[in-house]
Amino acid sequence: MSEDNPEVPRNPPPPEYQGGPPQQPKRGSMGLGILFGTMALYAIYFGGLIAVGGPYAWSNSILAGPATFVPIALYLVGSILLALRPRTSRWGAGLLIGLGIFTLLGEGLCVGFLAQPGI
Amino acid sequence: MIGLPFAGDGLVHGVLTGLGIFAALLFYAYEKRRRGLTDPRLWPIAGFAVAFGAIGSRLLTWDVSRQVSLADWWGNGDRSILAGLVGAWFGVHLGKRLTGYRKSTGDLLAPSVALALVLGRGGCLLTELPGTPTGGAWGIVLTPGQAALIGGPAGAGLHPSFAYEIVFHAIAFAVMWRFRDRLAHPGDLFICYVTSYALFRFGVEFVRGNEVLWLGMSRPQWFLLAVLPLLAWRMRRVFGRPVRPALKGRVA
Repeated sequence: MSEDNPEVPRNPPPPEYQGGPPQQPKRGSMGLGILFGTMALYAIYFGGLIAVGGPYAWSNSILAGPATFVPIALYLVGSILLALRPRTSRWGAGLLIGLGIFTLLGEGLCVGFLAQPGI
Repeated sequence: MIGLPFAGDGLVHGVLTGLGIFAALLFYAYEKRRRGLTDPRLWPIAGFAVAFGAIGSRLLTWDVSRQVSLADWWGNGDRSILAGLVGAWFGVHLGKRLTGYRKSTGDLLAPSVALALVLGRGGCLLTELPGTPTGGAWGIVLTPGQAALIGGPAGAGLHPSFAYEIVFHAIAFAVMWRFRDRLAHPGDLFICYVTSYALFRFGVEFVRGNEVLWLGMSRPQWFLLAVLPLLAWRMRRVFGRPVRPALKGRVA
């Protein structure tokens, strides 16, 4: 079993990745990322639902149909970009996990509710 | 005979799914520390696995023949563990590609997945249609109201197929715990787990009660039939590899 290959051609880890014990740079809080991400997605969809006047008005709003997925797609791209930056990698990881939790636990009910009126 | 206490209760299902994800992340953190893996890219890779696993569990089951919009399917359509595993596999590979992480992560992830499924399937067991009728005394019986809500016959004992799956994943977790440092090559643990789950799932589908697609087999069984040859090939490599260096040594 080989250890980390120092000749990795793309995105080689910076020196601090090798596990220097005393100083680990801050990479953001993953727990906060999970919490913030999940809450933000709930706020977008449930808040949006309230803002447009309920599920029946949603079908006539700009977020009807396939556009329902625009916030999720933007969120996904944003969290991936944060996860790839060393300084924000944990924050981005938390946001990705938050998306997974929201998708598995809550979003189905929410988006399904929004999508009901004849999309 | 046993009743179904929370038939169709999305909250109970959601809470147990959430606990499954939480337990999996805790075990991932523990195992990462135990193996002395400090690479910070491992958390983003776990994030990719969770996010794309969740997305895959919904999107990859989209049945266009039912003429349901994707948005409606996302909310009300079928969800599948198998589709979730495919999504998570894709997510891990995408994450590794984007971060440049080259080492195998399967052995780190496999016990976490098993742990998540022990709890997550608990949610299925308490809320969903359990399975096909069984003559055994361990069958789950639906009331007429529950039968109307989740489908299936009322008053007959039904196979607790999710309980079978919970037992499988619990045993798999225990076996992986026992042998996690004994397999020769990185990734072997993951291949063994996924292959054994594919075989088990193919069998348990006969009592699951899923819609039969063709030749008496359900959609997951057809998917597994397509995937199993690939897994068998990988298993052959897992158990075939240690022989080769020894033979090479003799020739040389």
